Amino acid sequence: MLRHYCRSLAPLAALLAATTAAAQSSPQGDTWESIAKLPELVGLWEVTFGGGPRGAGEPPAFTAPYAARLQEYQAATARGEIEDGPAANCVPNGMPSIMTQPYPIEILLTPGKVSILIEAYSQWRQIFTDGREHPEDPDLTFNGHSIGHWEGDTLVVDTVGFTTDTSLGGGGMRHSDKMRIVERFRLAAPDRLEVETTITDPEALTKPWTRMSAYARHRDWTLAEYVCQQNNRNFTTDDGKSGINLEFEVQQ
Amino acid sequence: MIRTTTVRSGRARALRHVAMVLGSVIGILALAAWTSRAEAHHSFSVFDMTTSKDLEGEVVEFQWTNPHTWTWIDVTNADGSKTRWGLEGMSPNYLGRRGWSKNTFMPGDKIKVVIWPLKSGEPGGTLQRATLPDGSEVVNFGRGPAG
Repeated sequence: MLRHYCRSLAPLAALLAATTAAAQSSPQGDTWESIAKLPELVGLWEVTFGGGPRGAGEPPAFTAPYAARLQEYQAATARGEIEDGPAANCVPNGMPSIMTQPYPIEILLTPGKVSILIEAYSQWRQIFTDGREHPEDPDLTFNGHSIGHWEGDTLVVDTVGFTTDTSLGGGGMRHSDKMRIVERFRLAAPDRLEVETTITDPEALTKPWTRMSAYARHRDWTLAEYVCQQNNRNFTTDDGKSGINLEFEVQQ
Repeated sequence: MIRTTTVRSGRARALRHVAMVLGSVIGILALAAWTSRAEAHHSFSVFDMTTSKDLEGEVVEFQWTNPHTWTWIDVTNADGSKTRWGLEGMSPNYLGRRGWSKNTFMPGDKIKVVIWPLKSGEPGGTLQRATLPDGSEVVNFGRGPAG
């Protein structure tokens, strides 16, 4: 009797196995139909002031050489030798800071890809959710190479391939080209997006550095143009001195 | 530049007032955020953030540009000479979502401003707030009309 049941269940088990395999080979977000079932990350968001990365969090734990670089930078700042960073010259911040600028971001989901349009410095990120891997030897860029997948209602994004021109946030907090950033995007409420960002770097950090940021949805906003070079009167010299250009020129 | 017709209905005025109050509240929070996160575009090291300076002048041009708006005003000095001051403000993207427009200041407008001046002593600074010819106040950031 039992053997009979087993025999009759066998086709069902095979079907289940096939279905599971199909689900694994077709990642969530790979078709418009599957995007429709995902949480509504699509939309315009702005990082909220207070809390998250803007609040006091645990500082990154730097390895000795990177801690020394930070101390050197802070000492030069205290002596008044370093006043500002490259963003004053309109150089975009790169990851991770570009995600927490005081300007909105817009998240778009299309089959196999999540795009983040970043108003500040007119930047964008593309996160491949089609199952591809990182390139074996990625180019080193400001925003890195991102792949993502869904774990239930959470979008998990893994990013590698960073130029060392950028900082981890504050000036002097540097990282190596081995930096890896894992972000977990989750809707805490329909109009509140929370992103947990974990940074690892075998050369610069002794342990992973995790921080939370929160974003509020703005359904009535649209992205605006941000061409930093349009009328940038701030500048930083190569040795970190800042200044301002007060020469009047008619714009219109 | 052509000034767009300003609707002076009670509702529009009320909305404008709400936008400005909201703008000032957000402005205070934003200032805290910006000054603690200097990498947002630039640090405030060139400005003397401990000294507020009042100026009264005539608008030459209001530049609704990124990464900052710039308000240029001619200020008449005690000896009758004129000095052109350049005042940095928040971006059009930021201010445009908080009640401002490219027509907030028009050439020829006589305005009063409160600024944080440049440490260098040059005629420039960063704008805190301004009083328009009709007596209403706009807040760039910092302390609003209520505070």
